[in-house]
Amino acid sequence: MKRAGRPAEQLTVEELVRYGPLGHAEMLVGENLARPVSRVALISELDQVRRCGPGTAVVLSSALAQGAWAVESALRLAWERSAACLVSPAIIGLNQATAQLARRMRLPVFVVTGDTAVCALDLAAAIASPEAARARLAARCAELFAERSNARGIVGVINSEVPGVAAALVAPDGHVLAGQSSADRAEHRIRVDVPGPDGRRWADLVAALAGPPSPTWAETVHLILRLARGPLAASVARERVDAVHDAERGRAALRAVFAAAGSEPGQVAHEGPAARGHGTGANGGNREEPLRGAAHGQQTVGGGENEEETVSERALGWRVTGRHIAVFLRSDTTLDPTATGPGVISAWQEVFPDLPLVPWDTGWAGWWTGEEVTVEQVASALRRNLTRMRSPIPLSGGVGRVADGAGGLRESLSQAMLAAGVTVREGHGTVRSFDELGFRVLLASLSQAELVGSARMVLADLLAAPDGPVLVTTLAALLDCSNSTSQAAARLGVHRNTVLGRVERIRARGIDPDRPDQRLALHLACYALLPEVS
Amino acid sequence: MTRSRITVADVPALLAGAEFFSTSAAGEGIEFAGFWLEDILAQTGPVELVTADELDPDTFCAAVGAMGSTIAMAELPPSGQEPVLLARSLAERFGGPLGAVMPLNAASVNALNPVAAAALLGLPLIDCDGMGRVFPLIHQTTYELAGLSLSPLAIVSAGHDSLLLDTGSVRAEHIARSIAQAAGGWLLCAMYPTRAGRLGEAAIHGSVSRTLEVGRLLSGHASAGGRTPESAGARTPDSAGDSSWSGLTPGQADGDPLWFSPGPPYGHPGDDGWPWRGAPPHERLLRDLAKATGATSLGGGRVVEIGPSVRQAGTVYPGNPMGMVVHDHDSGRLIRLEAHNELVLALADGALTAAVPDLLCLLDRGTLRMTGPERLTVGDQVDVLCVPAAPVWHSGPGLGLGGPGAFGFPLRHPRQESR
Repeated sequence: MKRAGRPAEQLTVEELVRYGPLGHAEMLVGENLARPVSRVALISELDQVRRCGPGTAVVLSSALAQGAWAVESALRLAWERSAACLVSPAIIGLNQATAQLARRMRLPVFVVTGDTAVCALDLAAAIASPEAARARLAARCAELFAERSNARGIVGVINSEVPGVAAALVAPDGHVLAGQSSADRAEHRIRVDVPGPDGRRWADLVAALAGPPSPTWAETVHLILRLARGPLAASVARERVDAVHDAERGRAALRAVFAAAGSEPGQVAHEGPAARGHGTGANGGNREEPLRGAAHGQQTVGGGENEEETVSERALGWRVTGRHIAVFLRSDTTLDPTATGPGVISAWQEVFPDLPLVPWDTGWAGWWTGEEVTVEQVASALRRNLTRMRSPIPLSGGVGRVADGAGGLRESLSQAMLAAGVTVREGHGTVRSFDELGFRVLLASLSQAELVGSARMVLADLLAAPDGPVLVTTLAALLDCSNSTSQAAARLGVHRNTVLGRVERIRARGIDPDRPDQRLALHLACYALLPEVS
Repeated sequence: MTRSRITVADVPALLAGAEFFSTSAAGEGIEFAGFWLEDILAQTGPVELVTADELDPDTFCAAVGAMGSTIAMAELPPSGQEPVLLARSLAERFGGPLGAVMPLNAASVNALNPVAAAALLGLPLIDCDGMGRVFPLIHQTTYELAGLSLSPLAIVSAGHDSLLLDTGSVRAEHIARSIAQAAGGWLLCAMYPTRAGRLGEAAIHGSVSRTLEVGRLLSGHASAGGRTPESAGARTPDSAGDSSWSGLTPGQADGDPLWFSPGPPYGHPGDDGWPWRGAPPHERLLRDLAKATGATSLGGGRVVEIGPSVRQAGTVYPGNPMGMVVHDHDSGRLIRLEAHNELVLALADGALTAAVPDLLCLLDRGTLRMTGPERLTVGDQVDVLCVPAAPVWHSGPGLGLGGPGAFGFPLRHPRQESR
């Protein structure tokens, strides 16, 4: 069982534990595992231990292990000869005292339940060809990687098959996507980057090791991590395709629900709440009209809607009947929604696992359903969780009114979309309800390109000033406050004299905020430009 | 020269010494024999203790000892007729009466049986034995090593079944043990019939005296409690070394079995009222035992493990193997003791440091009494002592008959290692 090899290629005791022969043995004492193992000796008489050289894995035969005294005698002799480890058959009386002695001597001791001669043979085979042992572990992992279809499964293979290693898939922002979250905090780590479908770095695969690894063990773990990269990238691509597919399916289903109930929210959005009157307590009766319309639509389409509802409920788990409050999420970024969509939906599902979110128009539509739910509750829950969500893009949200049925949902969503349009100006994480904003929701429509172009043209002189954007903001505040400079100063957080100075400069550019015939157009132009100047 | 005698007053010391030389495990439950012997000595008067030299070389003598179970003997004690039956068997076979009795081993219950036999037969007891300790088999003796024949073996059972067995030593052991099982659990035996002149090389001389001396030391320490051994009436080893103890009268030793009482718990150095400042009582006792017997302390501390051990292959010994581990308080070493009826070997951190035929014994620090694996639990505080065996046991044949190998341990005795 001798092997004359280069020391650098010798397996350590730790590796023999990882790769198999000792992996199935009970480790009575796991001290000093980094020692290289040069040979294996199967011992049937204590005197044979005296002939073992340094680095020997001493395996006691069943005939010798007549008691804890024999194991401890062998342990002592093995320690005196700098053996790498001791393997003993399981015998009565081999317990804490023997373990304590082994710890004192810092000699690893393993207990095997079967025939130790078989263990000795396995050890000899592993020691004879360390590369084969390492390759076998890597091959086993590669085989299992191929059988797993998602990131969690692939990382799980590393955690289960490579003992002593805790692996995790970590997003660039530190969020653990799969695996053991402790891995990224460990002292001894091995890290490889995992590419996304576009070939760029998407996440890191991190393996935490219990202690400082031997060079060969580090190399083996690194190899296994690299083997996992391809399957992980493929699983990410597959998840993205699935996400896009699911999003499209959701969009189509929602469109079908709305179509069955009447016109789409995109269409009614142009009608605007002003067209139907802004509902307060006094004229709340107006709110009933679209709902009646929806009900009428239901009757018109007949069984069609029922069929869609059934399909949606069955396939997507949606509830389109009952009492709804719609929300709409949007972002002011110009990123491709197809690329960011899966991230947004996945982040949403982390905080609201039971609520739908469907790509819709320029953002994402969702809704709460329930007899007791209120707009305040929804706005509060959305506000609280929007900041917690790990969304790839900054989001803000609008909340519609309470409404019944599919038609009502459509109406509520239109309101939420308008409200969300306003929140975009106010920054990431802002949530406004349709009722809270009042008529100002109309201003959400002012970000249309045509209006913005015209505004830029009519206010060209003002924008050309060195502090043009500041003057536009000040003008907007002044008009909002009925030309009260003190109120405008308070809103802007500056001294009134500063506002007075700016008003002077505005007037010097040929703009008179006091002219009633110009006032509405000027106010609209300011609002159209606000998103880009603030 | 004044001849030595063993009186009723010496019985407690004899018992304590018998327990010490029983290698901790075999000395339990022999108190009954003390009462039995005291009764006999009260009726017959003292037993004369003589050296082999003091006898006519032609004096016919035989070793007397019991075999079997001590517990069985306690439950079914000897009637007192057994030695007479043994003597009759041997006298009929050899055509002449016994002239003296010698102990098979001056330890455990067999330290008392020959005294009783000598008292009942009115014969002198030779101050020697064939083991110097306890061995489990009757042929593990220096008599055997010297070539004396164990047989004819005279045996008598609790039911007075009498038999004279004429066979080889090992077969005699096997057959007698079977008879013991069938005839009540124990046998009183007379063996190695010989002439006093042949005992020169064959016996370990002074064994009975030594047992009494050590017993006196232990009794003194155990009963002293807060008193010094001197104030408790115990003799120091220095003054006991001249064998003048045999002149003791019951008044001098109070005649009480002092060592039966556990005594008050000893204090600690620095405690108020503690008279032995600087050394705990167990250390003083260890020092005195070392002087008296040449014992060395292998270490002492807490018992951390105790339980059954694996039976050694090919052993013929009765009883079950046990193992225990003592954590040496001072050095941190782990002392593993293997017992099979007696303590057989001691490993310190896995290295064999003491083994049969040297005598291993355990001193309970709390009671200052000898103790053994069957009386200990995890957490008890003990000292591990090793008393060197008689030199003849360290010879090649001696180690062959009574060394680790004879107990099924494939180990060389530490003395063989150092050769």
